[in-house]
Amino acid sequence: MTDNWIEVANADSIEMEDLIRFDHGDKTFCIYRIEDGYYATDGMCTHEAVHLEDGLVMDDEIECPMHQGIFNIKTGEAVSPPACEDIKTYPIKVENDLVYINIS
Amino acid sequence: MNSNKISIIGAGQAAIYAAMEIRKLDDESSITLYGDENYLPYERPPLSKDFLINKKKEDEILFFNKQFFEDKKISFVNKKITKVDFKNNILTSYNDDFLYDKLLITTGSTNRKLEVNSQIDNDIYYLRNLDEAVKIKDKALKVNKIAIIGGGFIGLEIASSLNQLNKEVSVIEISNQIMGRIIPAPIANLVKAEHEKYGNKIYVDSKINNIQKTDEGFKIILENENIIEAEIIIAGIGSMPSISLFNNTDLKLDNGILTDEYCQTSIENVFAAGDVTNFYHPFFNTRLRLESYQHAQNHGINAGKNIAGIKTEYISIPWMWSDQFNLNLQLTGHCDEYDEVIIRGNTLENGIIHFFIKNNKILGACGLGLIGKVGRDIRIASKLIEKNIVVDKKILLDQNTKLNKLMKN
Ligand SMILES: Cc1cc2nc3c(=O)[nH]c(=O)nc-3n(C[C@H](O)[C@H](O)[C@H](O)COP(=O)(O)OP(=O)(O)OC[C@H]3O[C@@H](n4cnc5c(N)ncnc54)[C@H](O)[C@@H]3O)c2cc1C
Ligand code: FES
Repeated sequence: MTDNWIEVANADSIEMEDLIRFDHGDKTFCIYRIEDGYYATDGMCTHEAVHLEDGLVMDDEIECPMHQGIFNIKTGEAVSPPACEDIKTYPIKVENDLVYINIS
Repeated sequence: MNSNKISIIGAGQAAIYAAMEIRKLDDESSITLYGDENYLPYERPPLSKDFLINKKKEDEILFFNKQFFEDKKISFVNKKITKVDFKNNILTSYNDDFLYDKLLITTGSTNRKLEVNSQIDNDIYYLRNLDEAVKIKDKALKVNKIAIIGGGFIGLEIASSLNQLNKEVSVIEISNQIMGRIIPAPIANLVKAEHEKYGNKIYVDSKINNIQKTDEGFKIILENENIIEAEIIIAGIGSMPSISLFNNTDLKLDNGILTDEYCQTSIENVFAAGDVTNFYHPFFNTRLRLESYQHAQNHGINAGKNIAGIKTEYISIPWMWSDQFNLNLQLTGHCDEYDEVIIRGNTLENGIIHFFIKNNKILGACGLGLIGKVGRDIRIASKLIEKNIVVDKKILLDQNTKLNKLMKN
């Protein structure tokens, strides 16, 4: 459903191997830029209620700043404990240098 | 692969991660955890934090549920092991004997007990396990004034939690600084100020002279003649490795069970991991005994690999955290000697990190900030330590430059 794409930010405004936080309504997300492109996940860690915006992006993984739980950015898979519940991922597209997320 | 009977004494964090790793690599052997607590392995950090303030319940702190144990064919036996016969590979629990081929010991630590006088010693609360956390929680609900003896991480976390339950909390610390000497004094002072901001009283340089029972509870008399009144007393004065079971055996002990970099003890086919070990760390070329979540997990995983026959060195860089009020403190590395301290940042909002430097390399780092604010930089510090990277101090100092840059040099 194309009309569910929401504009997030300028593609350039996210540094390589980095992420930004994106809030929409009462929801919060992380938008990543890695070598393979742009990706999006839920903002909060699935272990405790901590935002991943301050986490460390390494290759295609995000590491939580609280207890070092690690998630795969592309699949949402919890790859290292204490995180054991996967994180939700969302489709992303880049058009005319703008990043869009589909949260439907 | 040969099928072995693999037994684990102590069903805590190191045990469950070892068991999982063994199962990943070996589908044949039997794996049995013997634990003296009537719970499946659970996380201890919430005991002094979210569990005390009712933000997390018992079933939310289990590492894995019953189904997981069934799926992975990992047995949990709720029995205390009372004797180990290393010559004949027999574990004894009172009248029951169990045979093993390979043994892993993960008995953790035991709290040090306060000895003041026989009238009050048995009335003091301690926190190491879930049953004790329940007791403290139940009792704390009924009282108002609480004294905590010992200003270490666990004592201070309990103080922070009880404050959030609107209790009047006093913390009594014998030395001149909370959290011990490994924490830089400016950081310890910020944590103290946070407690005081919320109304906790923190007494440093305070040695206890005596404790008397009163109608309301206790009167704690300090050597400097200060008197602190409390309805209950909780002590957090450090811990020792749980090794009494092995005192008259061939197992080599010295401030814990001695293990090499492969979690191997002095006895063949006997391994140990977690809090109970005094292990050789090849990177720092020294022995360490650590009490931390990350260590228990990674050391357990390492033991699992070695038990399953995949010889693997343990080289994980130490890391731990403490949460008090809205602050998150993190420590990484190991440094007994450094020649310089570089401080990055000066507000709790953005995080403050002290890097301990020797020969232009980071040996350790300690950070304090609002929740989430120091994790990334501390994590990068761990990586810089591990990779032995010479760092550009200007970048370390400048909070506007991301530390990732140092990784790429
Ligand atoms: C209140 C509290 C808060 C903490 N907070 C943090 C934190 O914020 N950050 C951090 O990094 N670390 C923290 N820790 C430390 C961390 O939880 C421990 O380092 C970790 O649990 C150690 O794991 P372990 O497997 O070595 O031992 P444990 O998890 O302690 O497991 C040992 C188990 O063995 C059992 N056992 C002992 N002897 C026998 C026997 N003879 N027979 C059968 N069973 C036996 C014990 O009862 C226990 O269940 C905290 C610890 C506590 C107690
Ligand atoms: S809050 Fe993210 S790993 Fe614990």
